[in-house]
Amino acid sequence: MSILRIESTQRTPEVIFDFANNVFHLRGESYPEDVKEFYGQPIGRLEGHLEGLTNAEIRFTFEFVYFNSSTAKILMNLFDMLEETAARGNTVLVVWAYEKDDDNMEELGEEFGEELSRATFSMLAV
Amino acid sequence: MLAENMLQFRNQLQAHNISFCYSGFMTEDLLVGIGNTIRKKLEMSELDKKRCKTVFSVFVEQMQNVIRYSSERETHTDNTDLSFGIVAVGEDAGRVFVTCSNVVDNASACSLKSVLGKIKSLDKDGLKALWKETLKGDSPEGSKGAGVGFIDIARKADGGIEYDFAPIDGGRSFFTIKAFI
Repeated sequence: MSILRIESTQRTPEVIFDFANNVFHLRGESYPEDVKEFYGQPIGRLEGHLEGLTNAEIRFTFEFVYFNSSTAKILMNLFDMLEETAARGNTVLVVWAYEKDDDNMEELGEEFGEELSRATFSMLAV
Repeated sequence: MLAENMLQFRNQLQAHNISFCYSGFMTEDLLVGIGNTIRKKLEMSELDKKRCKTVFSVFVEQMQNVIRYSSERETHTDNTDLSFGIVAVGEDAGRVFVTCSNVVDNASACSLKSVLGKIKSLDKDGLKALWKETLKGDSPEGSKGAGVGFIDIARKADGGIEYDFAPIDGGRSFFTIKAFI
């Protein structure tokens, strides 16, 4: 199966990892009881996949309404992973989508975006 | 007498400008339940959307701290931990506050004092730098979270944070943190 899909819950985001097309999406709320338990398996699989890519085009969209500080740590790790993937010569586009009047989420996006130099970062108010 | 006692209790909460208070054992399920209730109530209030979201977010960080770190806890046979603590939300001088209390042992009190002392001494840019540094570092041993909760609270509480410890006995203290938004 080349698509990993997890439905959203009240406290966990929708996860769509389309490995065949290199399109990835996290959308919704994120304050799970145990971040490692929720994100461990999908991110482990993503890491293995990204490591095998060369000259690929990757698009990763983050679209959060709210995430807690433990999730922020997971996101930092993901940004690091995407930056490394870009540094190896892949084309990586990271999109940070946020509700247009959500200043907090906009600011957080800018702060995470600072971590990227090889990957292309874009903010999207929706 | 029964109603009189509870009325006095309620008046006491009101005297402290507390509009919501929970004291007892906490679980992650309860966090979701109370969180949703607080969110609904905030949406009905005159607070702008940004502050509503900030209050909710500070509440989640504080309550997850109690759930993860309160030293007053019981473990159910299904491995669910029940952690004892108090969480309250209120309004004072035009600011919403979120406050949480729980029992900590001396060693935790010591490390909390040093962590919170450092956090309180930092300005906005300093907090951002510490936040990033902590996000990039290793998680503390045995942590279900990321050890970044207090930094997050301080970054979001634009009215500042206060914290305090009251000794209970030789080995334990009662810890309280209050964030103003």
